[in-house]
Amino acid sequence: MRLMQINGITIDDTFAEAFNMRGTRVIITALNLKWAYHAANAMTGFATSVIGCGVEAGIERELTADETPDGRPGVSVLLFAMGSKVLMQQLETRMGQCILTCPTAAAFAGIASEDMINLGAHLRYFGDGFQTSKLINGTRYWRIPVMDGEFLVQETTGMVRAIGGGNFLILAISQAAALNAAETAIEAMKKLPNVIMPFPGGVVRSGSKVGSKYPKMFASTNDAFCPTLKGLVQTELSDDIESVMEIVIDGLTFDDIAKAMKVGIEAICALGENSGVKRISAGNYGGKLGPHHFKLHEVLK
Amino acid sequence: MISLTFTLKQIAVNKIDCSRLTPNGLAGLSLSQIENLSLLNTKNSPKVSDYFEVSGNNNEHIIFKNSSEQLDFIGQKMSHGSIVCQGDVGDRVGDQMRRGLILIDGNAGDYCGSRVLAGTIGVHGSPGKYVGFGMKRGTLLLLKAPNLHATMQDCGTHNLPFLRLLLKSFKSFNSKFSTLTSTRVQRYCGDIANNGTGEILVFKN
Repeated sequence: MRLMQINGITIDDTFAEAFNMRGTRVIITALNLKWAYHAANAMTGFATSVIGCGVEAGIERELTADETPDGRPGVSVLLFAMGSKVLMQQLETRMGQCILTCPTAAAFAGIASEDMINLGAHLRYFGDGFQTSKLINGTRYWRIPVMDGEFLVQETTGMVRAIGGGNFLILAISQAAALNAAETAIEAMKKLPNVIMPFPGGVVRSGSKVGSKYPKMFASTNDAFCPTLKGLVQTELSDDIESVMEIVIDGLTFDDIAKAMKVGIEAICALGENSGVKRISAGNYGGKLGPHHFKLHEVLK
Repeated sequence: MISLTFTLKQIAVNKIDCSRLTPNGLAGLSLSQIENLSLLNTKNSPKVSDYFEVSGNNNEHIIFKNSSEQLDFIGQKMSHGSIVCQGDVGDRVGDQMRRGLILIDGNAGDYCGSRVLAGTIGVHGSPGKYVGFGMKRGTLLLLKAPNLHATMQDCGTHNLPFLRLLLKSFKSFNSKFSTLTSTRVQRYCGDIANNGTGEILVFKN
């Protein structure tokens, strides 16, 4: 096993295992950034993991008025699902409950693709016959009368092949140290395009393994990385590790995720060994489940 | 690709039926075919070249230069493309239009946008009587308040967000509409005489 150390922090010779997903991007604009965030936060709420939420979603970045179709401030949102059907369902319900409802919000396609999926195509029926459409430069928009004026939404957005489940683990001597390192990584990674970190604040503490002692459970706690089980199971943790946190990354391409992992890990390593971080590792299932392997040592090259 | 341009040779004495000079009517025709095209479906119909000098090769985007109030039925039944009129136009602009865009720099005659099914018509000058008569859907953009008939209903003054996108798309046209920026409009809907939900938007300062 090759040894790699950056600033006194050990990088495990392992890999993150990721899966094929379907992704889409939506641009949400509003009268001001505050209300664009209200809309986007609602739309990307309860979207941490496909296991229970259907989609994994997050805010990609802020957009200035020059960057949006309608010249208002906005944010771009990425949504990922395991299949196209779920993605379409989730996009439709989230658009209906979170964007249609949000004062002054409008939504536009954020990505071009041969596969176009409904953005506002079905929402129009909320207009009860008073909805109107406009074809502008070959793109169809729907105008739905609502109580604050008119809700403007593009008919479709693009759906692309994407990758979900890129990740790395932060192993530290205390909970506070792991959290501080995770926050530092997220701050750096949030600046990158084409990726989201879907968990609360970008960080997940309940990493999972495949299977369980209970027949009905597909996944259960990743006991090898649970610090309180060190003496009970075949642990991955040395005596000085007291807390582990994980950052999961969904992205449009392999390179986008690899870049995000590199930026995140480097931000943590820049903190040095006095930060309490001892090791960086990654989560995988032995390499047999996911087709994409992000080897930590190669990502950091 | 250069927009297909019809330049009116002189101010005609009689009315000219332009209903064939749409992206639909001219699709696939060469310049010489267009010049020899009969304007009407009659034996002694005048040809296009009797009234217009024709140039350009993009039949999807049509320009009428030097246009006048003698030109009737511009954009009739069109379902794609755009027509820009640099001057006045006659009666029934966009009659039964289904999709596409017509922009008029000057005044329009009577029954502007009559029986429109959908699409957008802009009149920079003054429209005549019965604007949007029998309109089903679609949008008429006006800068001067029209004299409306009773079945066009005033729906109040609003800032309509879609106008930002629409006005932005006008910037590529050689038309007076390319400089508009205001999204504040008085909205009239109709023609409720035939259950229409079309709209006439009059820009406010």
